[in-house]
Amino acid sequence: MAEGLDFALKYPFSESAREYIKDLSLSERIVDLGVERIKKALSEKSSPRMLLHESDKKDEIASFASARMILGHLRNNFLTNRFAVNESKIIRTQLDRDDEQTINRVGAIFGIVTKSEGKRLLLDLPTYLRYSLRNPHYRLINRKLYSGFVEVTPDEKKRLIEEAVKKHIENIPLVRDPPDLIKQAGQKLLNEIPKSESRIIIKVESHPPCIAKLLEEMKKHNNLPHHARLYLVTYLLAIGINENQITEMFSDLPDFNEKVTRYQVGHIKKKGYNVPTCATVMTYGLCCAVCRIGHPLNWPGLNEKKGEK
Amino acid sequence: MNQQDMAIVKKIFASYYEEADFPIPKIEQREFGFGNIKKIDARHLNFSGVSEFKRYLATNTPLFVSHSTAYYEFPGATPIQKKQWKGADLVFDLDIHAEGKYGAYAKLEEVKNDLIRLVDDFLIGDFGINKNEIILVFSGNRGYHVHVRDPLFLSIGGEERRELVDYIMGQGLDYVQFFAPDDNKRLIGPRPDESGYRGRFARSVIKLIRDKPTAISRLFSKDKNRDFFIGGIEEGNWSKTSLKFNDLVNRFKVVADELPIHSVDTDVGVTQDLSKLIRVPNSIHGETGLVAKIIGDITKFNPWRDAAVKSDRIARIKFIEDVPQLDMVEVGPFKKDSEQKMPQHLAVFFVCKGSAVFVD
Repeated sequence: MAEGLDFALKYPFSESAREYIKDLSLSERIVDLGVERIKKALSEKSSPRMLLHESDKKDEIASFASARMILGHLRNNFLTNRFAVNESKIIRTQLDRDDEQTINRVGAIFGIVTKSEGKRLLLDLPTYLRYSLRNPHYRLINRKLYSGFVEVTPDEKKRLIEEAVKKHIENIPLVRDPPDLIKQAGQKLLNEIPKSESRIIIKVESHPPCIAKLLEEMKKHNNLPHHARLYLVTYLLAIGINENQITEMFSDLPDFNEKVTRYQVGHIKKKGYNVPTCATVMTYGLCCAVCRIGHPLNWPGLNEKKGEK
Repeated sequence: MNQQDMAIVKKIFASYYEEADFPIPKIEQREFGFGNIKKIDARHLNFSGVSEFKRYLATNTPLFVSHSTAYYEFPGATPIQKKQWKGADLVFDLDIHAEGKYGAYAKLEEVKNDLIRLVDDFLIGDFGINKNEIILVFSGNRGYHVHVRDPLFLSIGGEERRELVDYIMGQGLDYVQFFAPDDNKRLIGPRPDESGYRGRFARSVIKLIRDKPTAISRLFSKDKNRDFFIGGIEEGNWSKTSLKFNDLVNRFKVVADELPIHSVDTDVGVTQDLSKLIRVPNSIHGETGLVAKIIGDITKFNPWRDAAVKSDRIARIKFIEDVPQLDMVEVGPFKKDSEQKMPQHLAVFFVCKGSAVFVD
């Protein structure tokens, strides 16, 4: 039982976690723990707490549920996505410490069930597509495909599970009429966090569809894959947005870290990376329209607007 | 098309619809759209079953009949969010781009090869889709549709579908990365028994060198050189030749360029759009009068024979514009203002194309 409880503690979205807390009633303590859990995501403290007592462990599991209720009630993209990023990162560290059997058990929650063929680990194509990341490494064209199965490494499998956890948390169902405790906690939380107005300072619609889409995603506080960020930074630099402004804009992202962002934007500028061509944008999996302009900076009207905010 | 002609055409369509067969899976979960002026004038309609659907066609006889690739809890609800999406067929559109109003029809035969490769190599071979879950449909006009109804793929989202199309179209395919020298200074590359693009690439190279050795290098016109090189490829060793590695790999570009399927249409988002309406298989396309026929054997399919609404009648039409010679049906050219007698299905075709009017 103890091992089961620890599993539930580590993976609070699992069925067994639900089992453990099904008899608990929502208490002020559980709601407070939930709020704390969300705040932890904001401050990027991603280490799980050490808990010894069974009741503490159960409360901690319940805090995941109460955090979800608060987020489902607030429908605040910034908070939800930030929470999703943080929790999925914690899950990844757990997976790295756990054995294969446990990893399989967690993967199975999201339908990530691999079969072994010799040394190969194979995942069915639809599941692979659902959780694969939008970057060249994971693009289907660069993968080994065997009649509906994609070969993955054990590490990639864990990365896919991490992504599945993130997606699962991002898709929190709307909680329409929550208990008062949740409502109050939500209100309090909103008052405490900095206003999450968008910091996008350029007009989204005057840029190529792929850039507009990325900016929209950012406005909604959705996460962007690595290559999308790189592309966006080179583009923004090219149209005359300065490093400070770009760093500011990126603070919309749920996993924003000012120091890291500032360094990376500065690095891209220093190296003088070019804005990728449409062909490259396509290989990144970021092309979303057929504008046939060959290069993003050929977007009609862009030249006159260069530097305009 | 003028009102009078539309009435004649609709009468012909209606008689076809009385007898037509519509094997539409889960018809009650699909949204329907109909059109006369545009392809879709009205949408958000739904039917409880095939007989109700057929009654509608016999009574109203629209020129264009479409259904959603998606399945909904409430297919008739508006706005679209209220329909409650449950999944969608995976649909690919192979379109022919050609000059002029009639240019595409001559190429319907050409694109068959792409269609066969799409189904056999990509959908069945790479994606592992069950053959029985795939239907091939003539679009009724300038191409073909492939409907995939494999339950495993129904729930995947738009981005995932785009990824499949990108794969099929070879977006980001870099065959040079298939190759790497090993410690023994051998060039290691794909083997013909591998799956996906790698295997296809190796097989295509072998085929090309066998069929047309000089296309890659004059060295391969000698049996000994050729067999030695091919024997190496079969084991994944591409160095059994005197050609330099870089030079050799560069020469294979012609092969790599032909591997993807270029006629898959991504512009219209047929595959990606989860609320897309598509021509109902076995319904008539109002721009041609041809049936969007479900195809049994693609190699034998001839739209003018198999997708025409059959009739013994001869009709008289007057051309209102010049029409070039159409080799595939062995008619034409026709001059503007000339009157012609011809089998009804051809007459309907020219009237629907807006090139002719009926003469009583």
